[in-house]
Amino acid sequence: MDHMDERIKKEILEHTEDSIDQLKDDIWSHLDQELFQEKSRREKKMKKKSKVIPIIIAAAAGVMILFSTQTDTGMAFIKQIKDMFEPEKEIIQSIEGTEEPTDVVLQEGKDAEYVIYIDEERYKLIKDENADIITTKEPLEERYPEVSMKIEQFKDLTPEEIVASKETELASEYSKVTATESVTDPVEGYKLHAIDGGTEWDSPVTNVYVVDNKNGGSFVITEKYFLEAAEGHGARFYAMLKQFVIVE
Amino acid sequence: MHEDILEEIKKGNRDAFRHLYDEYAGYAIRTAKAITRNDELAKDAVQEAFIRVYRNISSYDSTLSFGAWFYRILVNECNRLLSKEKKVVPTDTSLMEGNPKLTEHSEEGVSDLYGIIQHLADLYRIPLLLKYIKGFSEKEIADILNLNQNTVKSRLFNGRNLLREQLSLMEMEGN
Repeated sequence: MDHMDERIKKEILEHTEDSIDQLKDDIWSHLDQELFQEKSRREKKMKKKSKVIPIIIAAAAGVMILFSTQTDTGMAFIKQIKDMFEPEKEIIQSIEGTEEPTDVVLQEGKDAEYVIYIDEERYKLIKDENADIITTKEPLEERYPEVSMKIEQFKDLTPEEIVASKETELASEYSKVTATESVTDPVEGYKLHAIDGGTEWDSPVTNVYVVDNKNGGSFVITEKYFLEAAEGHGARFYAMLKQFVIVE
Repeated sequence: MHEDILEEIKKGNRDAFRHLYDEYAGYAIRTAKAITRNDELAKDAVQEAFIRVYRNISSYDSTLSFGAWFYRILVNECNRLLSKEKKVVPTDTSLMEGNPKLTEHSEEGVSDLYGIIQHLADLYRIPLLLKYIKGFSEKEIADILNLNQNTVKSRLFNGRNLLREQLSLMEMEGN
């Protein structure tokens, strides 16, 4: 290293020396809180919550799995479940500050293990092999990021296991992932939120809700929309998700 | 970074993560302070970089040195926060390459070598900061900035020449 190199190094190190120890402590304190204390607090809170009797409709408990949806008997059970809920109803949702009455239609999810009411004027339910996807009735133009709400069930993964893997997944896909929180609205469970970019109208946004299926597994609801649609599609997804009920 | 420490971090071991933090935080803070020229932004960038490292540790590919992987995340975070702060689309600095006047900022008020470095265009400034703060090799800087090694070599060479020129000018004016 010649004299010039030594001089450059010395100058840079001198100018970046200020308050390093203080910053180091402050940053660690934040990291510890966000990565370790919050996580431990959430786990405790969730364990405590799981002792409380969940609001679950104990309609066809357990028996459902004995019947395939392909059989007449299975279809009859689905009909029974659907009969327990109103086939259509009106909900009031808040869209961009305005209270909007909306007609929603009952739909049963994959294997009839949950029900949800859908605003069928704007959205449709697509039943995929592994998940149900609610998306816009009319396809959006290509310039818009994806708008959808996917509902899937992981029968062997606990909510905590799902949260840990989703946190990693979101951090690699989105530039800003906010701390996971426990929520009671629109569903009871964990909420993960992430945004990519964050300042443009079309910055992709996602909300992932992880709900205990009360049978050792989890339901994962993944909402995708974009920043400008937060008070439109975002609010409509929220209102529909409030109508999500697990059928045990 | 030792494999066993990384394995422990993957399991969520707080002490192992603290160990990594203690080893990397000091130079990471210096680097972020120098790149962002702002203590608050530097703090946010380092914080976010460590969070990303913790959450994405399982996707770390050991073909890249851990240091290069960490600093790639850190530098990206600094740039992201800087562009957010400016609220403008970053200039394509590659267009400035070959321009003898390679400074992005006004030189008014620059009175020392550090000031001159900080007034260089980012395409020279950031490789120089990585070289002199942490002592990264050209290969490592190329990995961090996702550039060809020859590009880094030429940017470091030109950056040093610029510094030398600007320093002579400043010293001549001072005499």
